[in-house]
Formats: sequence, C-alpha cells, structure tokens
Amino acid sequence: MDRWFLIAATLLATVGGALGMISVHRGKRTQWTVAWVAAAFLCQIGFLSVRGEWRAACPLMDRGEILAFLAWSLTLFYLWVGPAYRISLLGVFTAPLVVIFQSLALIPGTLTANPLKIVGSNPWHETHSAMSVLSYGALALAAVAGIMFLVLDRQLKEQHLKSGLFRNLPPVRELLVSLERLLRLGTSLLTLGIIAGFLMPRAESAWGHLIAAMVVWLSYAALLAVKQIRGLTGRRLSLSAVILFVLSLAVFTFV
Amino acid sequence: MELLCLGLNHRTAPVEVRERFAVSNNRLGEASHELLALADASEGVVISTCNRTEFYLAAHGAEEAFKRIEIRLTEKIQLDSSVANHFYRKAKTEAARHLCRVVSGLDSMMLGETEIFGQVKQAYHSALEAGATGTILNKVFQRAFGVGKKVRTETSIQEGSTSVGSVAVDLAEKIFGHLKNSEVMILGAGEMSRVTAQSLVSRGAKSIFVTNRSLDRAQELANEMGGTAIPFDDWQSAMERVDVVISSTGAPHAIVQRADVEKIRRARKYRPLFFIDIAVPRDIDPAVGEIEEVYLYDIDTLEQLAEEARGRRQLQIEQCERIIELELEKLNLPGT
Repeated sequence: MDRWFLIAATLLATVGGALGMISVHRGKRTQWTVAWVAAAFLCQIGFLSVRGEWRAACPLMDRGEILAFLAWSLTLFYLWVGPAYRISLLGVFTAPLVVIFQSLALIPGTLTANPLKIVGSNPWHETHSAMSVLSYGALALAAVAGIMFLVLDRQLKEQHLKSGLFRNLPPVRELLVSLERLLRLGTSLLTLGIIAGFLMPRAESAWGHLIAAMVVWLSYAALLAVKQIRGLTGRRLSLSAVILFVLSLAVFTFV
Repeated sequence: MELLCLGLNHRTAPVEVRERFAVSNNRLGEASHELLALADASEGVVISTCNRTEFYLAAHGAEEAFKRIEIRLTEKIQLDSSVANHFYRKAKTEAARHLCRVVSGLDSMMLGETEIFGQVKQAYHSALEAGATGTILNKVFQRAFGVGKKVRTETSIQEGSTSVGSVAVDLAEKIFGHLKNSEVMILGAGEMSRVTAQSLVSRGAKSIFVTNRSLDRAQELANEMGGTAIPFDDWQSAMERVDVVISSTGAPHAIVQRADVEKIRRARKYRPLFFIDIAVPRDIDPAVGEIEEVYLYDIDTLEQLAEEARGRRQLQIEQCERIIELELEKLNLPGT
C-alpha cells in the first residue's frame, strides 16, 4: 500500500513536470503544474501516514523514508513558496527533483519492506529528524531556484531571448530574493534540527552524523554571512546553493 | 541630375562599422557640405542616427557618383575598401521610396518608431542651413515628410511599444521585475534618452539620475522626468547605487570602461547591473559585459526584440507601402 502511494506520487510529479516542460517549450505558461504537484503531495502524505502508522513515530528510519520525506518537504515548500512569491516555472524545475528522490526511494532495498514499530520514541529525536529533513526541503528548493537563476543568467548573458523558457522565467531579482529567503529558512530549520540533535539521547555512532550536519550548517551559515556582509554575485550564490545541497546529501550516509 | 542615396544601416552593417560612419548632430550641416565635395554633387544631406548613416545627393551619373563617394569616404575614414560591401545604393524613384520608408519608420530597427521622423527633419534642416540643399533635395525631403505624416495618421504603424526605449525597459523588467524598486541612471540627455526615460517613468522607476556633459540639458531632462541631474564627472559614484544604466551620449569613444565597473562592484555588493547602450559609437566597452553580474546590451542586440514587434505589424507594413507607392505616383518628384 505504502509503495503504491509513492509510485502514484512519482507518476503525478512526472506528468506535471513533463506537461509543464511541453507548455514552456511552446512558449506558454501553464497553471496545471501546481495541480499535478499538489496531487502528488497528497499521495506523499498518504505514503508518510501509512509508514508513520506502522512505525508509530515520524517515518524517518531508513533511507527510503528519508528520501520520501525529503521529496514531501521539497513539495511542501514549493506549494508554499511558488504561489506566495509568484515564481513561475518553479514547479517545472522542482518536479524532476521530486521524481529523482522518490525513484531512488523506490529502488528495491531502499525502503524497508516490513518496518518495525519504534518503541519509546524520544521527542527530541523526532524533532531532530523532522526539522532536519524539512530544512533539506527548503535547501533543495533554494538549489532549484539557483538552477533557474543560472539558466536565466546564461540566456541573458548570451542574449538568447526568444525561447519560451526565457519568456516564462521570473525576473532575476525575484529569483535571487527567493533563493536567499529559502537559504535563510533552511538554515534556521537546520539550526533547530541540530539543537534537537544535541539534546536527544544518542549512541556513539551518531556523532559522525551530527558532525556532518554541523559542517553543513556551518557551510550554509558562512554562505549567508558572506552574502550579507560582503555581497555575492547571483551566479556565485546560485552555484554555491546547488553545490552545497548536493554535497550536503552526504550527511545521510551517516544515518 | 539624379536623386541618389548611399547608406548603411543596422541590417547591412554591424555596429563596429556603423560607428565609424556616425556623425554627431552638431556636425550634420558641416558633413552635408563636405558631401558635396566628396561626391562632386550639387546637393547633399547627411542623415546619421544610431542605426543608420545615409548620404542623399543630387548628382550626374549614378554609377560614377557612387564610386567616387565610396572611395573618398573609405579613404577619409581610413577603412579597407571591402567596407563598401556594407553600403546600399539607391537611385531615382528607389531613393525617394527609401527616404519615405525611412521617414515613416518602416526601415527602422523598431518598426514604426517616431524618433526617426524628427532625426531626419533635423538632418535636413542642418543641411538646409549649411546651404547644402537645392531644388531637388528640398522638394524630395519636404514631400517625404508629408508622406511620413500621412502614413502615421492613416495607419496604426506607430501604436504599441516600438521604440528603443520601450524595448530597453522590457529587458530591465526581465532582470529587476517591477521597476518601482529600481534606480536608473541615464548617460546622455539626447532625444533617445528622453524617450527611454519616459518609458522608465511610465513603468514606475523609483528614481532617475540624469547626467550629461551639459548640466543644463541634464537638469532640463531631469525636471521633465521628476529625476535628479548630476554633474557628468560624478557618474561613476552614482553608478554605485543604480540598477540600470541607459547610455546614449554622442561621445566618439567608449565612456564606461571595465575598470570603472570593477571599482564599484564591492560597494554595490555585486548586485545585478544592467547596461543598455543605445549609442553609436558605443558608450560602453564590450568588456564590461564580461563582468559576472553585468548584463550589457548594445543597439544591435535590441534588434532581436524589435523583430518580434515587427512580426506583429506585418500587415501594417503592407498598408504603409501602398500609401507610399500611391503618393510617389502622384508627386512626380524631381530627380526621379
């Protein structure tokens, strides 16, 4: 049952992303991407509810659950940020990342087939897990905004102004403002996750994970500090957001 | 005596070539007078705008006159003779038709733009004052202005965003979104700057700084736009705060160098900076566009956007051409 929810979410995100791309290629903007991704979001909730019920805790116990939770978090922030900041095409760029995360989760062996019930779960542990994965959702969306900026920047620099993609991408400044806000939000949530991580009871083996999380937090904090104090070009900020996000996924190898 | 036209424009020559033939407004009369000697012609008018330089003359023998002027011009400007490949040559009715099309805005980069009418008028009056015109060119130009007015009043060729300014502002909005949060500096207070500034104000630009070698002219434009005039020597410090720089001075060389922008990057915290260089010769060194956060567009690049508007107005062109043909048939112009 849980896998079917995840498969449905993946298919819905694939269809939404593909239709969005076709529409952009034709030079039109579609409102339907949000609807497809919203439907995928409902399926993600279905998956997490089933797994949560089986676990009797926040379903973040294996890599498959973490990837699915990450995809849910990314979708959540897209549905919140996209319409609020009026960033067109964010869905078209977000959907492929959602599909990748969920497809990885669906690889046999990634998702525990018969998840064990967690006995005596600790609230700090659950806060740590939930906040950390939520922060990754915001940071993933920041990376998506970064990719959108890099695409638009390249088109403006090379003066390729006739494509449907160019016409539909949001303005440079709006992308950079959204990117910075998402980085701040993601870093703030990660701060809460790390604080909870220090407060939760943990085994010796958990130190590697916490240290890796600290390194990620420090990297993002340094990036934001440099942006705030010295300033950064849009290209460097975007590239940093993308590279840091890809590297930060290594934290999960310690889970 | 035949009516002749030799010219180059944005379709036949790149900006690097056009800028070599550009003539500043205050030299148009003098240049028209020099044209008489260069082409052994009895009458001459030089038109020079961002997108074109054209030499209208009344002379004997089209072929010989074209050859003479091409050879002497390339020698004068010290260019290779292959530059002549960029010229178009028109004689008699074809030259008159071309002038009517130019005046009507049909040959402009921005189809139907209105500035060209005033620019041609100014060029003609400069030549008239310099004593370079006579019976043929006086009649041809005055009739062409009449045709231009008729085309504009009887068709909708000038409706919509067809000016360089409007297209430039569209690009500014692609970078900065709503211009209400953007500060703009205008280098050069000429006609193109005024038109561009009007578009910026209409789209809600937060503040406009105008700088010009003549502070009085800058002040005049700033007052008109509700902006602030700044001395020309202060443009570098003003660039620290602005988002958009629109440049259209009549300077014969680049004013903004890469080093000027490099110096202020830190103070700007590397925010995006948009340069629109609508001057010929170009005001902004192309190397400025290599800076990461800088987007630089020169007049040639704006052509891409103009083409889109051109497509939408294709039907209007046909109607305008019909008016021009009918008027040319009626007029029986001398030299054609």
